[in-house]
Amino acid sequence: MRQFRIFVLICAFSGSLLCSGQMAPPQLFSGMEGFTFLSDGTAIPIWGYGWVADGYITLPGPLLEYNQNDFVQLNFTNPSPESHTIHLHGLDVDQVNDGVPATSFYVTTGEEATYSFTANHPGTFLYHCHVTTTLHLTMGMYGMILVNRPDMMLYDGGPAYAENAPILFSDLAIETNMNPVQSFPFHDIRPDVFMVNGVSGNQLEQAEHIITFEAGQPIALRLGSMAYSLLRLDFPEELHATCYMSDGRPLPEPLEVVELDIFPGERFTVMIEPDAGWDGYIPCEFWNIPDQQFEDEQLIRVRDASLDVPTLGTNDSPAGFPNPTRSSITWGGLESICVFDAGGSMVFQGALLQGKLDVQSWPAGLYTAILSDGRRSRFSVIH
Amino acid sequence: MFLSMMSWTSSAQDSLWIARGEWPHIPDSVQSIRFNANSDWTSINATLSRVPDQLSTLVLINSDSIMHTWKLEAEGEQEWEIGGFDTLSLNIPALAAGAYRFGLTNEVGRVLGASGQLQVGLDVDFPLFHWNLGDWSIDRMVAADLGLPIAWDAPYIPEQFTINERTYPATVDDVDALVTMSLGDTCLISIVNHGFMDHVFHFHGFHVTIVSSTLHPERVGWSKDTSPILRGEALVVQLVANQIGMYPVHNHNLIAVTNAGFYPGGMITQIHVMP
Repeated sequence: MRQFRIFVLICAFSGSLLCSGQMAPPQLFSGMEGFTFLSDGTAIPIWGYGWVADGYITLPGPLLEYNQNDFVQLNFTNPSPESHTIHLHGLDVDQVNDGVPATSFYVTTGEEATYSFTANHPGTFLYHCHVTTTLHLTMGMYGMILVNRPDMMLYDGGPAYAENAPILFSDLAIETNMNPVQSFPFHDIRPDVFMVNGVSGNQLEQAEHIITFEAGQPIALRLGSMAYSLLRLDFPEELHATCYMSDGRPLPEPLEVVELDIFPGERFTVMIEPDAGWDGYIPCEFWNIPDQQFEDEQLIRVRDASLDVPTLGTNDSPAGFPNPTRSSITWGGLESICVFDAGGSMVFQGALLQGKLDVQSWPAGLYTAILSDGRRSRFSVIH
Repeated sequence: MFLSMMSWTSSAQDSLWIARGEWPHIPDSVQSIRFNANSDWTSINATLSRVPDQLSTLVLINSDSIMHTWKLEAEGEQEWEIGGFDTLSLNIPALAAGAYRFGLTNEVGRVLGASGQLQVGLDVDFPLFHWNLGDWSIDRMVAADLGLPIAWDAPYIPEQFTINERTYPATVDDVDALVTMSLGDTCLISIVNHGFMDHVFHFHGFHVTIVSSTLHPERVGWSKDTSPILRGEALVVQLVANQIGMYPVHNHNLIAVTNAGFYPGGMITQIHVMP
């Protein structure tokens, strides 16, 4: 309860700055009481990062985007019961901003900190907690950073692109996430859920996870891995995939790619210019590194935006997922909804109060909401 | 990418002793086999150095009681068998500048960790550091030492991860593993993966340029902060110290930054850049 109060105060403070006309930079917080939902609806505990203004943590953490040469001040607050940090992976920041407790500093419970750096190089980077790193990453404390150029070129003299598609691979070990206190020894952590942008299986067929393109408009795939596994991507020839960058630096020569291996912590920028009308998948294989065994395959769908193809209902916004820092779900701009439980029975029909549905007293379970504009949204209630 | 190789000055190690003894750097104190530079036992494998493009010789002295097979992983790879308590003189071929892996390939020799790196033309213009990477299953080592069968089909769960046969924090006491530089300096780091699994190293604070690689030659010239070193790969990177401070370098497969499962440990070292 105390954490919740601290959290509300931070939100209010942030809001007052915005109301007074001052520019308050976005502020990340760390939490240890979140959940992610597997494709079968199972709720798995996570630790992670979220925007203070949103009030919930996500898997992966929020995408941080900056422009090249920005002087960044990333404000971070830690209301969670353990110390955390933010390591700015690949940005080559100075020692004090490196996020390694032994050489930089801890952000202990209730503390705030600011990480400062200049985003010198455009490219794809990562961030993650560097406290007891093996455990905190497994629990979900990571995200992606993009440093863009306003002229939409990958780098000075590089090719131009129409859109970024950030793709962060990761995995989790259910047993560890369910019981992190008993997760020793760490060397035998072997993941069993393999994710693309925090989801897997048929969740990747939801509209928000499909990469859509307009013919002739190149898309920059921003690929990064926080997985324990080796990622092996196969690019269909219709995508005309070319790798231009790795780890935030241009390659000496662009590389046409058919197969691409991505090891933990690596990043690649691959440009695709799919054939008009194409609708297909990029297969992403996850391989166990110690045993060199195939573990799982996830499929990233790429589709011509002009195609009229039905897709699974969208989750609309991450606010559709409640967690212990929130008691309600928010759908902005909607008047009414119908909600069905997992058995298909309607459990709610009516108006939203200020766009919010209070689920605090609802039984735990998986629900589907039919929104008044026709969209569908799934959410779980957990206690 | 490589520098003039004519100013090579260090003296070449022309003999290696194959020896068996205790490995005190890990708590289980298991028996290990190592390449030693002389007849005195040390659990740290010796490193060889040669000039580029020149034939040379090497004398192997097997002070172990069983036959071993020695191999240099370079172009035109060759293996030599050496009997227990035997001595063998062999030719090292003329090699281009870079790092190369050598080691025992018979089961006992490999599992007990006799492997090292041959540095060709690397100690010329820049300070040179080296990291021999190892992953270790104590069960496998004990079985190999006792001559028992090794369960190769069982899942591989190594408990120890080492740089130059040491685990963090002992790695930062190793002058070959701890990278110490002054601002503006350049150094080379020669990294060889002797383990049974691929590894991937992340540099805090810096990008490095790949100078040579035995398994990823297409990556020469790439600037990376995170680089895989595949099983058996020998990789040389160049580091320019463009900021001061202390920065970790570690395996980003995070099971490998542990000692017997406890964090932090394993494959972690540091870069120290002084003003």
